[in-house]
Amino acid sequence: MRDKILYLLGAGALAILVWNINTIARLPEETQQGVTFKIIFFHVPMWACAMTAACVALLASVGFLVTRNFRFDAAAVAVTEVGLAFTTAGLITGSIWGREIWGIWWTWDARLTSALVCWLLYAGYLMLRKAIEDPTQRATFAAVFNIFAFIDVPIVVFSIKWWRTQHPQPVFWGGGSFPPDWNLHFMWNMFAMLMLGVVMAAVRLRLEDAQREIDSLRRTAHAL
Amino acid sequence: MHALAQIPFLAQVATQEEVLQHQYEFLSYGLTAAWVVLAVYVLMMVGRERKLKREIASLKAMLEERQK
Repeated sequence: MRDKILYLLGAGALAILVWNINTIARLPEETQQGVTFKIIFFHVPMWACAMTAACVALLASVGFLVTRNFRFDAAAVAVTEVGLAFTTAGLITGSIWGREIWGIWWTWDARLTSALVCWLLYAGYLMLRKAIEDPTQRATFAAVFNIFAFIDVPIVVFSIKWWRTQHPQPVFWGGGSFPPDWNLHFMWNMFAMLMLGVVMAAVRLRLEDAQREIDSLRRTAHAL
Repeated sequence: MHALAQIPFLAQVATQEEVLQHQYEFLSYGLTAAWVVLAVYVLMMVGRERKLKREIASLKAMLEERQK
């Protein structure tokens, strides 16, 4: 039953996103950037998912350190991995937008650099987990590292406010605005992308459960 | 070809349609990249789930064998 609900949610999110590609393509061009501006409809929701995942991972990591309940550790690794996928997609879509608008694929400004550092930190978190055998030690070290990695998240979000960057100011809290019909499609995309993120994290959590079952079966096999 | 396009400077000036075409090309690159990254990740998860299920089944079989 739970699986069916998950797949239904995933299919719903995909349907909204596919339907939205069609409607976004039909929207008029933006005055300054033309059609390329429409990458924002995917780029920003992807980063919103990535940052939300980082916040949930932080809470789960703190939860593990406080309670020592491995469900929190499983939740932390699941959302971190999904967040990393969204971060990767966000970096790539941003780079493609930059190539067209700035004429360069990459620049070492505060927003882009902190975003890349964020990617490296969370990739490091996953590598750290693979390097430690003992489950309790792995979960503890990973939780501490995850909390440390989160320090970069507010820097990514507020870098465009704190420093002068080449990256544009945000549309919604930087004084800009969308036309109302653009807003609607943007919000739909945001909702669908978050829904997709939730489904992906739930599926990843199931994998973590399966991994724990294997660990337990192995321990039983050793004991026999 | 239009006679004016033979003048080097004017030939270099892209038409509005060409600019639009170029922008659509980049928009499609962006969308494709976004979808490909997510699709690859989902496929990786599916592959991992299959592998884990196989491992669980073999471990359970091994345990049953040992208990007999």
